[in-house]
Amino acid sequence: MAKKPRILIIDDDVDFIDLNRAVLENSGYEVVTAFSGREGMDKVRFEQPDLIILDLMMEKHDTGFTFAKSIKADPVYKKIPILMLTSVAGETGFGFSQEQDGYWMKTDDFLNKPVAPEDLVKKISELLEKAKQSE
Amino acid sequence: MGEAANILVVDDEKGIREGCRRILMSEGFAVDVAENGKEGLDMAKAKPYDLMLIDLMMPVMGGIELMEQIRQLDPEIVMIVITGFATIETAVDAMKHGAYDYIPKPFAPDQLMAVLNRGLETRRLRLEAEQLRQERDQKLLEIAGEKSKLRTIMNSMADGILVINREHQLVLWNPAALKTLNLAGHVEIGKDIAEVIAEKNLLEVINKAFNPDSSQYTIFSEEVEIVEPERKTLIVSVAAVRDEKGQDLGVVSTFRDITTLKEVEEVKSQFVRMVAHELRAPLAAIEGYLNAYLTGVAGKDPQFNRQMLERARLRSKSLIELVNDLLQFVRLESKRVERKKELLDMKEVIESNVELLKNQGDSKDVQFQVDIPEKLPLIEADRAEMDQLMTNLISNAMKYNVKNGKVIVGARPEGHFLCIIVADTGIGIEEQCLPCVFDEFYRVRGPKTRYTTGTGLGLSIVKRIVESHFGRIKVESTVDKGTTFTVKLPLRQVDAG
Repeated sequence: MAKKPRILIIDDDVDFIDLNRAVLENSGYEVVTAFSGREGMDKVRFEQPDLIILDLMMEKHDTGFTFAKSIKADPVYKKIPILMLTSVAGETGFGFSQEQDGYWMKTDDFLNKPVAPEDLVKKISELLEKAKQSE
Repeated sequence: MGEAANILVVDDEKGIREGCRRILMSEGFAVDVAENGKEGLDMAKAKPYDLMLIDLMMPVMGGIELMEQIRQLDPEIVMIVITGFATIETAVDAMKHGAYDYIPKPFAPDQLMAVLNRGLETRRLRLEAEQLRQERDQKLLEIAGEKSKLRTIMNSMADGILVINREHQLVLWNPAALKTLNLAGHVEIGKDIAEVIAEKNLLEVINKAFNPDSSQYTIFSEEVEIVEPERKTLIVSVAAVRDEKGQDLGVVSTFRDITTLKEVEEVKSQFVRMVAHELRAPLAAIEGYLNAYLTGVAGKDPQFNRQMLERARLRSKSLIELVNDLLQFVRLESKRVERKKELLDMKEVIESNVELLKNQGDSKDVQFQVDIPEKLPLIEADRAEMDQLMTNLISNAMKYNVKNGKVIVGARPEGHFLCIIVADTGIGIEEQCLPCVFDEFYRVRGPKTRYTTGTGLGLSIVKRIVESHFGRIKVESTVDKGTTFTVKLPLRQVDAG
């Protein structure tokens, strides 16, 4: 059996991390976690994840953006797919979508929080599949 | 003339008196007669006459003296002299003494009637003129009163008012308008409104009242933003003044400054957004855990599944705390909060709160140290709010402590204040985060507080309570050493002690 894909979850809500770690591990992934953008960057370097799940709003409102931008600017890491999770839509009335905002947000896909576990798993496998094909 | 005129004939010759009376009564006048000046004067004093026929030469009191007296009594009585010595001198003399005309004796009835009717007509005109003059004076007074009333109403209005005429010239304004639009020194009667008001969009709204299609409404309002000299939002109401034919005479514009209202609205919706966000986070976590538990999507490990339920319960508990804090917060926010201030011994308040929290226990096994002198001066405060204040501070000191840490609570008088200290030996707060700790929903985030639940409102509530009691709060902290909160509350002004 091939090596388990490694997912990095970056979110400041400990419950979100604990829960989704369990869900993803149960779906056959290896999970590493980070609670902040800075910690996330370290984990990208040392854990070399196959996919990143990123929360938009953490210590600052735009931590997610900044993080995604620096990943995609890096020649090595830019191949790692980023799945951005936002709960911004409900608060501001502005929704994001990959079609409209993906090009400037430097993300590979979006999901709105709260996220159903099955949707999350589905989206992850799609993104991983796509990444494998483009290699 | 509506009523028959009252006429008094004063003559010592009975023939003349009676003759006149008959002629005049046949013409429908009310006639009285008197034999001499004295009698005539008494009668004139008793009853108002419109006209008097007066002989000049009479015993007791002559015509000239009578006329003098009558003129003082009522200058409007028309006096006609009947004289047997119809010379120019007597006529002139009589006229000088206020006679309206004179008839030389003997006279024919037609002659008498002609002079008399003319005299009565003159009197009628004079009275009418007098009445009109009085009415005009009255009206002028009323107008002056209206004008001053209008001025006072306009000047005392909080909303600004500008009135312009058909030629767009300024005709009227009030002090509020000068203040709201910052026009002091720029206004002048007759100045074109476009020279007075610099804001284009404001002018546009005012000019809309002159549009031909504006005749269908009497008044319309628009929200206008102006930028000079500072950003303001105004509600501008514009109404055209029209004459009876519907022609525009000018425009009345009123301005209400709603800038503060807008700001309050913005703060309020910002707060609602924050609350919604804070409510959703725990709800999403609870929903996620329950969902995972029920679907088994997080695996079958019974220990982890139980852990999920425990976390869900913890988050629900924090949700309830959040709602309680919100209610408390809103209660403090509202100006009508009922504060039952009483004389309080904080020693008792502090000790009971420490006891309560100590017994609730917590996983960190913190030690308590209470440093309060035997006797504390009293303060004037709301008991429930002081309990809340101490609970929030002490529970924070426990929550953000280290295992087997220490919570030190102290109180002592210091000048005019009671100084209360709550210190811990916990994780501390980074210096850059210190200014924010009293902000609503602010929570210091870090690896050590990851599993600590909190609402982010506890310290905002503390600050509000302290401020509503005219006190001060201060925070000092060193990372990994601990945090110290110092509250200063004013002592009771006059201590009867």
